[in-house]
Amino acid sequence: MTAIIQLDNVSYRYPIGDEWILKHVSLEIKKGSFVSIVGNNGSGKTTLCNILRGFIPHFHKGDLEGTIKLGGTDMSEYQLGQLGEKIGFVFQNPFIQISGVKDTVFDEVAYGLENLGVAEEDIYKRVEEVLSLVKIQHLREKNPFELSGGQRQRVALASIIVMDPDILVIDEPSSQLDPIGTEHVFEIIRLMKERGKTIILVEHKMDLVAEYSDELIVLDKGEVLMQGPTREVLESEIFNTANIQYPHVTEVALELQKQGVKLNFLPIRDSEITTCFKNDGGNE
Amino acid sequence: MNQNPILSLHPLTKFYFAIFITVSVIIVPNYLFAYAWFPVLIVIAAMAKVAKSFISFILKTLIILLAIVFLMQVFFYPGEDVIGSWWIFELTNEGLLQGLSLTSRILAIGSAFILFFRIVEIKDFVKALEDIGMPPTGAYIVLSTLQIIPEMRRQSNTIMEAQKTRGVETEGSLIVRAKAFFPTLTPLILSSIASTEERAITLESRAFSAPGKKTSLHKLTKRPIDRVLPWVYVGIIIGLIIWRVFL
Amino acid sequence: MLKKIKADFNLLAILLIPIGIAVNFVGFQVAQILRLPIFLDTIGTILIGVIAGPWVALVAALITNSITAIFNPVYFPYVVTSMAIGVGAGLLSKYGMLSNVYKTIVSGLVITAIAVVVSSPITVIFFGGATGNTSSAITATFLAMGQNIWGAVFSSAIITEIADKVVSVLLVYFVVKSISDRYLSKMKYGHLYMKKRNTKSKKRITHPNLFT
Repeated sequence: MTAIIQLDNVSYRYPIGDEWILKHVSLEIKKGSFVSIVGNNGSGKTTLCNILRGFIPHFHKGDLEGTIKLGGTDMSEYQLGQLGEKIGFVFQNPFIQISGVKDTVFDEVAYGLENLGVAEEDIYKRVEEVLSLVKIQHLREKNPFELSGGQRQRVALASIIVMDPDILVIDEPSSQLDPIGTEHVFEIIRLMKERGKTIILVEHKMDLVAEYSDELIVLDKGEVLMQGPTREVLESEIFNTANIQYPHVTEVALELQKQGVKLNFLPIRDSEITTCFKNDGGNE
Repeated sequence: MNQNPILSLHPLTKFYFAIFITVSVIIVPNYLFAYAWFPVLIVIAAMAKVAKSFISFILKTLIILLAIVFLMQVFFYPGEDVIGSWWIFELTNEGLLQGLSLTSRILAIGSAFILFFRIVEIKDFVKALEDIGMPPTGAYIVLSTLQIIPEMRRQSNTIMEAQKTRGVETEGSLIVRAKAFFPTLTPLILSSIASTEERAITLESRAFSAPGKKTSLHKLTKRPIDRVLPWVYVGIIIGLIIWRVFL
Repeated sequence: MLKKIKADFNLLAILLIPIGIAVNFVGFQVAQILRLPIFLDTIGTILIGVIAGPWVALVAALITNSITAIFNPVYFPYVVTSMAIGVGAGLLSKYGMLSNVYKTIVSGLVITAIAVVVSSPITVIFFGGATGNTSSAITATFLAMGQNIWGAVFSSAIITEIADKVVSVLLVYFVVKSISDRYLSKMKYGHLYMKKRNTKSKKRITHPNLFT
């Protein structure tokens, strides 16, 4: 698989504040992969998202060093307006992620396509498709201002998906949602992955991260500690010392292991709980 | 589609009508002419089925102003031709005429625009302005302002309630009440300003500043009458000017 | 010149306009609820002028009065006053006239003067000296005392404007002091009010205009 995003020795600091938020970050994200960025608060996850989406340096000023390539082309050669077609961005706060000028969900979802100048018939077709994909047809005539947080987050996702970007950068989409809202959102993300989109996710809930991600990038104090396949990273000693939460099932398994229980392998997904325990003989 | 003959007009046809009335009462100095527009506007309001809200709106907003303007002219406008007196005031003919002239114009122009805003959807009017060259950014600002005002009003009420429970006095002497103003407004302003960065990112995610022409799903139709009426207004205005200058 | 003005309208400045306009409305509403004798309906416009410059404030004033016109079109002529206040606030900010409390009070007086000078002719020409609120009573009193219409309108405007504008400008001064440096750093005049002056390396990534 080819790399769709490449960062080489990237460092960044905001205009105010002397501290470098990111330090010598180098990483590669393969086309069509689902990559999660994990790390503790203040490790630079959101800043990294802003760089991947081009808001740094197009929107936030500051000092940016190193090279960032999108599909082999240097990021600085794109205009911010063009990037919207290539990279979709969804972030935490569902209440601010509406255009603020549309009074129905249908028009809200259509807004990005209007801005891109897509032909009218195509807009109707694509919005319809996305509304049913995200399962929000029943909200179509509702005012976005009157929706719940979970509903708004789905509308926000739909509004991005409809623009059909190759890459989706999703920054803690569930942090303000209840379990059902979270489930809905991850269902949509999974569908996008199936459609061949590259997904870059920041998420605190490690159960979800382990469930869905192909790869993990571990950030600590602005540096990349490790990048690799999800299982490899979670099994590694580096992750263990990074003091980041494990998925619940892994945590339990590690605890059992400490108590002397033997494991076939370290489980990282709930579905693995039955197969990970060593069967020494027969079905005991 | 709206079948009402007034409501179904293009927003600009309605807007130009209000402008037309404004220009006409400036050209024709006669107060009877200006006052005559008012019944015409009521008839149009009735045709658009907004007569009740139109009249009640005028009673609420215009009548007091008109009364004050009128009385001030009658009693204080400098003039020689005294036609009556009351207490320490003198009533002059010049004042009376000035009062009638000013109030007739305020009534005509004011009620023309009050009617305009009763028979037009703001969204349509903004779209119409965009169609004749207002930048899309301008349209964005107006529409988003109309959404934000009620939102911020709600928030300010919530903050005021919270201030009350925290013991900030909102009743009492002027000083006490004035002191409550600052803690109510400041957090509201600061949080709203802080939210604009994320709103900017949201808009950029929706290709707000994408280069090239935008599509609009919201379309306005212009019928033949919408092409004819503005020229009728212009014709009448030219007629009035000729009449003023040459006759 | 035109290009320079256009550069003032970056995306954050554009998004500040609706907020400023809403602040004008909410300020007025809260002042009414608290039964304050002043209007406080230009706080948003002044705030925009101070941090985003005169041109952005001018647009904010225009739209504020246009939206007011939806509810009551009669007072639309005062749009000129609002625009002058916005531009005035922007220029005062540019020349450092809001850098401390004393200068801010002087700025409040300057804005009062602007408001009086611009609004009085409107009051006299369009409304024959009346305004439909309490200031009409003051004007009438001056007239009854024998002043001419201009003197009466000027005097009454000064009385009603002075507290309103000085309080508004002071409020803006304190609000701006509480705005984060990060936000201020993206505003035209924001650097004038940042708590922490930037002393780091001069190497800077230029900020491309978002609208080109």
